[in-house]
Amino acid sequence: MEKYDVAIIGGGSAGLAALKQLSNLGKQAILLEAGSEIGAKNLSGGILYSKKPQKGQVSNVEKIYENFLDDAPFERKITKYILHSTSKDKVYSMDLTAAHEYQSNFGYSVLLNKLNSWFAKQAIESAEKLGGGIIPGVHVKSITWNESGNAIIQTDELDEFEVKAVIAADGVNSEIADMVGARPKFTPTQLYQGVKVIVKLPEEIIEKRFGISSDEGAAHLFAGDVTLNHIGGGFLYTNSDTLSVGAVYHYHSQLENPTEPSALIDALLKNPMISEFIKDDVPIKSKIDKSLPQEEQLRIRFAVAKQIKNWNEIRSSYLSSSGRQRLIDSGKYKIDEDIKTRLDGIENQLTKLGVTFGSDYVEAEYGAKLVPDGKRCRMQKPFFKNILFVGDAAGRGIFVGPRIEGLNVGIDDGVRAANAVAKAIDKNDFSANSLGEYYSKETENSPYTTDMKQIDKNYLKIFLDATKDVPKDLIGARYGPILKMMSNEKLRGIAVKFANILGYEKLLPMIESEDTYVKIPIQLAERLGEIVSQSYSPSIPSIADRIGNLSYNDDNSSHIKVLNPNSEFMKKMVTLCPAKCYSEEGGNVIIQHEGCVDCGTCSQETEWRHPRGEKGIHYKYG
Amino acid sequence: MGQLNVAVIIKLEPDFSEGNVSYNPDGTLNRAETKNTLGPHSGIAAHAAFFAKVMYDAKVSIGTMGPPIADLALQQAQQISDAEELHLYSDRLFAGADTLGTAEVLKTGIHKMKEKMDIVFSGHRASDGETGQTGPQTAWKLGFTFLGNVVSYTVDMETRTIRAKRLISLQGTPDVLEEIEAPLPVFISIDPTYKSSFDKVSQRLAFQKYKKEAEKRADNYKDYFTMFNADEIGVAKSLVGLPGSPTIVYKVERVPKSTATRKAEVIDGSDPEAIRKAVGKMKEALDAMVIK
Repeated sequence: MEKYDVAIIGGGSAGLAALKQLSNLGKQAILLEAGSEIGAKNLSGGILYSKKPQKGQVSNVEKIYENFLDDAPFERKITKYILHSTSKDKVYSMDLTAAHEYQSNFGYSVLLNKLNSWFAKQAIESAEKLGGGIIPGVHVKSITWNESGNAIIQTDELDEFEVKAVIAADGVNSEIADMVGARPKFTPTQLYQGVKVIVKLPEEIIEKRFGISSDEGAAHLFAGDVTLNHIGGGFLYTNSDTLSVGAVYHYHSQLENPTEPSALIDALLKNPMISEFIKDDVPIKSKIDKSLPQEEQLRIRFAVAKQIKNWNEIRSSYLSSSGRQRLIDSGKYKIDEDIKTRLDGIENQLTKLGVTFGSDYVEAEYGAKLVPDGKRCRMQKPFFKNILFVGDAAGRGIFVGPRIEGLNVGIDDGVRAANAVAKAIDKNDFSANSLGEYYSKETENSPYTTDMKQIDKNYLKIFLDATKDVPKDLIGARYGPILKMMSNEKLRGIAVKFANILGYEKLLPMIESEDTYVKIPIQLAERLGEIVSQSYSPSIPSIADRIGNLSYNDDNSSHIKVLNPNSEFMKKMVTLCPAKCYSEEGGNVIIQHEGCVDCGTCSQETEWRHPRGEKGIHYKYG
Repeated sequence: MGQLNVAVIIKLEPDFSEGNVSYNPDGTLNRAETKNTLGPHSGIAAHAAFFAKVMYDAKVSIGTMGPPIADLALQQAQQISDAEELHLYSDRLFAGADTLGTAEVLKTGIHKMKEKMDIVFSGHRASDGETGQTGPQTAWKLGFTFLGNVVSYTVDMETRTIRAKRLISLQGTPDVLEEIEAPLPVFISIDPTYKSSFDKVSQRLAFQKYKKEAEKRADNYKDYFTMFNADEIGVAKSLVGLPGSPTIVYKVERVPKSTATRKAEVIDGSDPEAIRKAVGKMKEALDAMVIK
């Protein structure tokens, strides 16, 4: 049997950070990733922060990857952060850029497929020198221990092998945690369900529309009627030449009052402000005249497909300064005007082929994932024997108001786990008492853990300052006195202390309620909001089209097994599965796994596994 | 034990993916307007050569006959196989060759490669020719044992023998996997279903390492690339191009459309009523099929 020191399971941002850090420390490590390549299974809302906490230290992305700022394919540095309250066509906006910048060096919008591939490239470079590396397309199916306490890892694809330590970075639906019994599955009250679409939009249109320069970006958050009465909200982040538009809702609120996740996205897309944000010129094909000879119909079909492909490519380059430069450098064009002439030429040809141009938006990818709420579900002791859990797998996400942090937490955890394992290798002691307890202490000391445990009064002040124009009667009897107390400089400290004694557990039902996410924002918009007019109506793809556009490598048998086909929970899955994998026939819920996006929404009452290596969803953006 | 040397013969073919292919008004392929790419079966052969690279640290060479733009196919195949020698045999004299004329050029080219070959791989067939003869004819000209439809293989480096599994499909009979052992050198025509499999962590790590090396090499493929004309590889001119090709294309007939025997009906998928009708008909048909 082959033997290695350490195996990292899962090639997301956290697992990759662990690999990079172990390699930086001169330790050999191998990382197993179930997707056919790094990034295939990764999805995030889309902001990666670098933090500077007042107390304690965190390992930021630019510290682990020395060339991050010069070379990494992040999208845009978010320089505007605005919260909008919506009611029909009315919107009331509050600038929360100060909250976004609070204790942070920067926050970049990111697309995980691209970014994690870059992380992987850096990590492999260091890992290979030590005989380690990344192995994609491998799904771990069991972990057992031999008499010397080493872990024996069995996979669906490889011969079994032996390691001294495991770093489990297999995400919110951690199978490792489940199979070894490290923790129970997360429950709906501990989770958020997130759905996201990627919208294509040329670079310079984004800059003009959002009032940003080429090295700036904007984040817009939404609460109010767009939530369809759920606790949570919507977001829109600018990427380089795409937008991430998503909805994140408390899973428990979804179970109480099930709404199709895609409908929650649609509610956002239909909002006049968002419709105008995503608007673009698009070619519209006309129906080919069926009376023409078949060969002619075929010729037109191919010509239209070819020219639309050309038009899209040249237009997105033309509407980007770096894109224009690339075309000129390639020698095909001398000056910008030549590119424009070529673009006009293609437009003319398309017009002759019966194609017209109109306003719409272009959706490139649909995706969904569960997000752990660290204040409710972080593992108090994130280890089991010689397995250390990091990031989402340990339930360590930060949710405080509009602030959602996960990637940076996972990266920091990955580094802490790597440091712990490196120490264990030096001491040759991988026991739970030594390795596990040390790592557990390290994560407990992380400033991120503090954020999951306590309210930060300075952070709170930023919100209170932002809401100072809000009429107090809107806030209502329940929150009025609290707000009044919090607004007072002297009383705030005492109030926060008192709140922290009460603990998140008692406070959360009050803070995260229909009032704060739905009712108050609606009233705000109605009373103070401005009317946004909508110039077109976006043609939103059906869920079938959205799933049809995703890439899959279908497995012939299902990785998910329904345990009780007529339970209340499973019946709700018919509505709540973001990929519509469930349907009800004769009172029984049945699964069709082919469109599954591995989000884990149904994992509570199913036998839930990730697909075998290389199988299942393959995100292109993530 | 010694080094294992493998060669792959490949072909540049039209890219049939949507947006890249163009047709003439009469429905035939417009070759001038259609983009070219490495043939899919050539790609599989390159994967099979890469298996030897990962498992036995083999040295890989690639050869192709074609126009000067066929360097694109060599680059793509190098990216798959991590080859360190790329040969393009290009000369006006080679034009109009049938499979036999092509095989003569390839055989001569393989002899011109730096190493003496232990295994030569070819794809199963071309996507624009479909005869599947170039491989076997090259094997015959090289005097190598020919193994067709190979789906997997291992090499015993001590005894210099190969064990290969061949997929034998005959209509009306179940598929058979035939395992055979042969002394090197051999010529392998790879089955379209071939897929390399690496079962050990160490093999997967080697796979990743060489894959990265292959990408780096392919970025600088010109450093590995040599183009030869007829004189440079020294072929007998009577055996290549038109003079070396006994095949005469007398006439190309379009395959006539057969008349449909089924009663097909086109329905509009967006009309729920039409779908309901179709499902009803399917149910009817299924009921009729139940054996009572």
